Amino acid sequence: MTHARAQGHRGASAAILGAGGGALAAATWIGGEHILSIGLIIFYALAGAGAYLWAGRDSDVGAIMRVGGDERQRHLDRDATALSGLAMGCTAVVGAIVTAARDHGDIGGYGLVCFVGGVTYALSLFILQRRS
Amino acid sequence: MSNGMSQGELAHALGVSRQTINSIENGRYLPSLPLALAIARNFGKSVEAIFIPDQEETS
Repeated sequence: MTHARAQGHRGASAAILGAGGGALAAATWIGGEHILSIGLIIFYALAGAGAYLWAGRDSDVGAIMRVGGDERQRHLDRDATALSGLAMGCTAVVGAIVTAARDHGDIGGYGLVCFVGGVTYALSLFILQRRS
Repeated sequence: MSNGMSQGELAHALGVSRQTINSIENGRYLPSLPLALAIARNFGKSVEAIFIPDQEETS
């Protein structure tokens, strides 16, 4: 049944934080910023521990952090993801406009973010409307 | 929704969270058709008997 609750994995969010934070810390270490790298490791280790504890709670956020909520919780997660994507998109567009004005038309990394976001949206729309 | 069951028991029977049952009961969330059918089946009633539209409820 589509509404069946999946328990998910309690360590899912902690693992994502650990992987992302570890990669960022490694890149920072390679870049020569050793103190910052150690600080990042400590920060992400604490954030991961917090996420693991929070994911054990009997709550909507806990279920979403376990990546195993029911239909309503998955809906909440989708809406929150869409809103965060909208905020990131707006930030990228504003950043591209400001950068273009400041750097003689060069929109830099913001252009890449806008391009990836636009292409992903168009492709998703095309694929999803064919599936529904 | 009341059948001598707690929200937790109903949630467990339907395979959803207690928070979702609470939201449905308080009218904050409209369940999917499969979940609505499962709820109706659980109470031995029709979907219409459980999910009454507001205008019919007030008239």
